Amino acid sequence: MRSSRPVSPRASRAWRSRLGTVTPYALLAPGILWLLIFYVVPVAQMFIFSISTGSLETGFQITYSLDAYTEGLSRYGEQFGNSLVYGGTATILTLLIGFPVAYTIAFRGGRYKNLLLFLVIAPFFTSFLIRTISWKILLGDEGPLLGPLKHVLGILPGDASLVSTPYAVIAGLTYNFLPFMILPLYVALEKIDIRLIEAASDLYASRWEAFRRITFPLALPGVFAGTLLTFIPAMGDFVNAQLLGSPQTSMIGNVIQNRFLIQNDYPTAAALSFVLMAGILVAVLAYARVLGSEQLTG
Amino acid sequence: MPEPEGQITSPVSRRTFIKGVGLTGVAAFLAACAPGSGATTAPAATSTAPGMTTGPTAAPTPQTVTGPLKWANWTAYIDLVGAASDAGEYQPGSSPTIEQFKQKYGIEVDYEEKINDNPSFMATIKPALVAGLPTGWDLIVLTDWMAAKVIASNWAEKIDQANVPNCVNNLRDALRNQTWDPGNDYHYPWQSGMTGVGYNATALSENGIAAPTKVADLWGIPPNKVTFLTESRDTVGLALLKLGIKADPATVTDADLQRVYDDIKPLVDQGLRFTGNDYLQDFGQKKVWAAMVWSGDLASSAGEDDFFVFPEEGTMIWTDNMLIPKGAENKYTAELMMDFVYDPPIAAQIADWIYYVSPVKGAAEEIKSLDPGAESNPLLFPPDDIVAKQQNFQFLPDALESTMNDLFASLSGV
Repeated sequence: MRSSRPVSPRASRAWRSRLGTVTPYALLAPGILWLLIFYVVPVAQMFIFSISTGSLETGFQITYSLDAYTEGLSRYGEQFGNSLVYGGTATILTLLIGFPVAYTIAFRGGRYKNLLLFLVIAPFFTSFLIRTISWKILLGDEGPLLGPLKHVLGILPGDASLVSTPYAVIAGLTYNFLPFMILPLYVALEKIDIRLIEAASDLYASRWEAFRRITFPLALPGVFAGTLLTFIPAMGDFVNAQLLGSPQTSMIGNVIQNRFLIQNDYPTAAALSFVLMAGILVAVLAYARVLGSEQLTG
Repeated sequence: MPEPEGQITSPVSRRTFIKGVGLTGVAAFLAACAPGSGATTAPAATSTAPGMTTGPTAAPTPQTVTGPLKWANWTAYIDLVGAASDAGEYQPGSSPTIEQFKQKYGIEVDYEEKINDNPSFMATIKPALVAGLPTGWDLIVLTDWMAAKVIASNWAEKIDQANVPNCVNNLRDALRNQTWDPGNDYHYPWQSGMTGVGYNATALSENGIAAPTKVADLWGIPPNKVTFLTESRDTVGLALLKLGIKADPATVTDADLQRVYDDIKPLVDQGLRFTGNDYLQDFGQKKVWAAMVWSGDLASSAGEDDFFVFPEEGTMIWTDNMLIPKGAENKYTAELMMDFVYDPPIAAQIADWIYYVSPVKGAAEEIKSLDPGAESNPLLFPPDDIVAKQQNFQFLPDALESTMNDLFASLSGV
């Protein structure tokens, strides 16, 4: 953090030491301000709502009531469970699908790397809603997937259905969050020095062993970043469950959306958001501990 | 964490980035062009720029027509011609009524089929209304109960009656003097309709199921091929009738609502879904065999083998109303549109395509001359035996409404 600019020696010492103490904070200021305005304040506001009672028309008063928490937790266990299962499954699927893709782009992409990466995000030039609604058609009862399976191959019975089932919701989540997995994985894999893998095979490691002991551990920071970027938004998502699911596949995001916007029950919605946030935080901390944080910061 | 996050952007080369920005720019340009791409020559009729003055139809207090008029309506709720009519989906230029209005006043109309059900549409504009900001709409169409709430919350602009002489003169007497807005200061009805049962005849007969004649018949169809409405008053109302309970807000009790819940819950567990006006898509894709639907939609916008029946138990009756949301930028133009659609020939033109009950006096005669035989269409002119069984479940006491919202949310999985 030292200024390398030549300053007259006499004046420089005091100035430099002052600069030395101020600079880090000045550099952090935009980030801290950002966090303060867009994170700390809303979270505090949300917490205040969660311990308030009232209605949109009459206003909300802080009553330090925990009813919203007890009501939310006792009533919506199933939806929390759905979020966890769907979000978790989707995250694992994006990892299973994304790893080979990222691996191929990083090690076999050659001069097409940039093009391939562009193709990964290309679908995202279309609206999120349009893409999700398209899945409704793709997975439709007589759609391009189920239609042939039912009528041409005859594998499935005529009344088999994917839309409105958990499978459709998980498929939608997996599709929508796949690039958030592929890109960090790619970054981690791309950094790997190919000579390490060569060295492993020189030392009689099989290809699988080289992957298991060299490539995968070195890709862990990417796995960590990718799973977080996928799991956290997938847990809170409600669009996929709303468009591709049924009342039985409601996720906690659907409940929060309904409570906030349809029923105007801000306290319960805020309490549920808070619980969700806390739950994710705990899960992420546990996950970071398991993966080993030294490895992650590389 | 900071490290991988920072690196995510690195694989995107500068060229790719610039390409991306370029595409966004093109999209923005197209979006900017869209509203002004209609027939008029008025350059850049933005909402703030003053348009032309009215000329012949100038109101007593001279006002300016501004636009484009932003109008949010329900699906299949205005007359259409051509491909849009076949598809049952509004496209710019496809509605004679809107084109005639545009021509008459030389102003653009940005008409969008944005309303799928009352609560979800209100959810999109309520934050703006609460904050005292414009909603982005000049004209919205809400069902009685929600219209009453909006007016009670002071979220609607007061209509200048001098600007809507057709409305003043032609509103049917039966629809006047509503307790929630006795003088029509804030609303004029758009259409009335009924909630009943719709079905796809082909799908049912292929599966050996008789066409439904009662609400109760919906319980005899595989629940994953049935949809009810997200509009809780309709679904709960019909379910009350099915149980033989009169859907009268004054007499329905919490216990009755609980019975409805217990009756519907098993269907939900077997795959029943709730939809708004988007049930039309489900009918289009043959995803549903039968559903709770609104009276005119299947006739106007669904397939040849999709039918509406007035269930034996009765129907729910309601009226959708035009309102000008608070802070509307083109209030005067919105009033002109209200007045325009209350001109009997225009009202007839609309009703005869959408198959709902027009609120306009004199529209009936116009429809008959426009479409001989229409007078026997029960969707447009419900016969006495149908009217006798219509039930109004719009305005619920607060406690009952709160119970219903709670039970209905549970049914919907939220």
